[in-house]
Amino acid sequence: MTSAASASGDSGPGGSESPSVPIHLRPARTADLPVLVPLLLRLKRLNEEFDPLLRVRDDADAQAREVLQASLKDPKAIVLAAEGVGPDKDKVVGVVHAVLRERPFYTPEVEGVIVDIYLLPLYRRRGVGEYLLKEISAQLKARGAGVVIAEFPAQNEIASRFYAKRGFRAITERHARSL
Amino acid sequence: MAESVPAPVDPGREPRRRVRAKREDSADESVTRELGQRAVELSRFYGGKIETVPKVPVRSLQDFALWYTPGVAEVSRAIHADPDLSFELTGRWNTIAIVTDGSRVLGLGDIGPEGALPVMEGKALLFRWLGGVDAVPLPIRATSPADIIETVERLAPAFGAINLEDIASPKCFGILEELQKRLPIPVWHDDQLGTAAATIAGLLNALELTHRSVKEVRTVLLGAGAANIATARLLFALGHDPGRLTLVDSRGILHAERSDVDELSVRNPWKYRLALRTNGGGRTGDLSAALEGADVLLAASTPNPNTIRPEHVRSMARSPIVFALANPVPEIWPQVARDAGAAVVATGRSDFPNQVNNSLVFPAVFRGVLDARARSIPDEIVLAAARELARHAADRGLSEEHLLPTMQETEVFPHVAAAVGMAAVKEGIARRRLSHDEFLHRAVTQMGRSRRLVQALNRAHLIPPMPRVPSSRRRER
Repeated sequence: MTSAASASGDSGPGGSESPSVPIHLRPARTADLPVLVPLLLRLKRLNEEFDPLLRVRDDADAQAREVLQASLKDPKAIVLAAEGVGPDKDKVVGVVHAVLRERPFYTPEVEGVIVDIYLLPLYRRRGVGEYLLKEISAQLKARGAGVVIAEFPAQNEIASRFYAKRGFRAITERHARSL
Repeated sequence: MAESVPAPVDPGREPRRRVRAKREDSADESVTRELGQRAVELSRFYGGKIETVPKVPVRSLQDFALWYTPGVAEVSRAIHADPDLSFELTGRWNTIAIVTDGSRVLGLGDIGPEGALPVMEGKALLFRWLGGVDAVPLPIRATSPADIIETVERLAPAFGAINLEDIASPKCFGILEELQKRLPIPVWHDDQLGTAAATIAGLLNALELTHRSVKEVRTVLLGAGAANIATARLLFALGHDPGRLTLVDSRGILHAERSDVDELSVRNPWKYRLALRTNGGGRTGDLSAALEGADVLLAASTPNPNTIRPEHVRSMARSPIVFALANPVPEIWPQVARDAGAAVVATGRSDFPNQVNNSLVFPAVFRGVLDARARSIPDEIVLAAARELARHAADRGLSEEHLLPTMQETEVFPHVAAAVGMAAVKEGIARRRLSHDEFLHRAVTQMGRSRRLVQALNRAHLIPPMPRVPSSRRRER
């Protein structure tokens, strides 16, 4: 399932070039799972706000754990943990989760898909979202992706604006109805 | 919050929800029931509460050549050339709309626009009686914020100001913000601003009385509805440190990492922003955790006298300030709060000292902005009204029993109106820049005229005397 850019804050980050973002990004480890799972669940619960077809399952907690665990082992996935700085050092305040997918019919042949990106509200803005996007884009590119794709609920206008400002456009759409 | 002329229990404001039983409550309920029955009878007898009456002489039909065509065409041409002349040449200068979608009426909830009409008529009567304002009740059939905003925008040319009433939170915040941005006239939402201004007025004096500064206190707001969200904003405008303010709602302390905070970012961005800005110490937990060491508690939650416990008050700083503003039953009975050490207690009720009542605010605020032909109503004006109210109470001698003027001190209203008018001039939003004395004089005249008008209509029996209560129901109170 898809996810949202909730790292962007209310009106997108300002001061994008600032190297002094109040976080430190590093590859996630299995030991991070107890803090990453709740962050991922917060993201899914945010997504829930945008569409009834994104209602979070009762077992989402266990699912989140499994999904992250699988990605941590998968060479075609990237999971990054965002830590605070200063007094918040060692506190994981955000997560970025992306996967590499083959594109059998199109070029570029590999796409990097940001499936989950979440940052606790107090760490949003101040260029953090921009920084996360740049970092994950660079890592996806280094693994062979020629295009970066962000997945998020269609009704999440904040995410739409955030990505649009950074040169993203809708290339495919997923339309749904319940059965 | 209390809103009405004094009564043992403000009859206009029913309980938000049924209150846990206590002797007082069942007595209240029977009084409320009785008042309700009587109100229906009288509403039927009088056929509503307000009507439009001429304000020009009509000696014969000939006069309509002036009041209407052909003479009126020249008046129209003049206004067409300069639309601001509509404030001079028509009744616009004194006419406001009371707009509601009926989505949160009194304690009744969403009762629709027709259901809201008697309440808006009552409010119009208050506007007339206390403020000398011509208020038109305008419940509208619209629910989405966009529809409400568009409707009010289209109606605005007829009015000198807009009073939004009984619109549900949180949609009321966005509607007010957007209309304030779009319209060239003041837009007010009484459930936010009226209540917040009265609260601030009382608080300023409570701080004075306990030798505190708003810049240093630690404050807890209990309830995160329309009133307290507006109160928080006004407190910041007064220099209150956001980090020293903690909001508590039904889910406990509002903080940046509470599990519902992302949901709030979508559903209630105003509360979300407060979650990020407030509660500097990073407290979590319930009301008890919030109150420890706090100087001030401003409660505007739901009626239940056990919401705030004596031990809550005891855990606050020395000589704490407690405002328990739920109606009709405060979150703690004043005596209980005093016994637990509260230095000052205010409620929403007129039968206890220190009634925080938005009726102290809105008639005077509208009088002031209308007399200044104001283009908007920034928070500076709201604060000017609050400060003037506070000053008046202080002039008569502050005490823990006298924080605010009472509704009987009607001489306060014109002074608040004049302070509002002067604030509008100072803010550069007045179409008409009068002096303080001129504003005061106008307010006295206009407010006095309303009362003389009603008295004259009474004397002439154009307003018939109230019919008696049927003898079958008459009994001792």
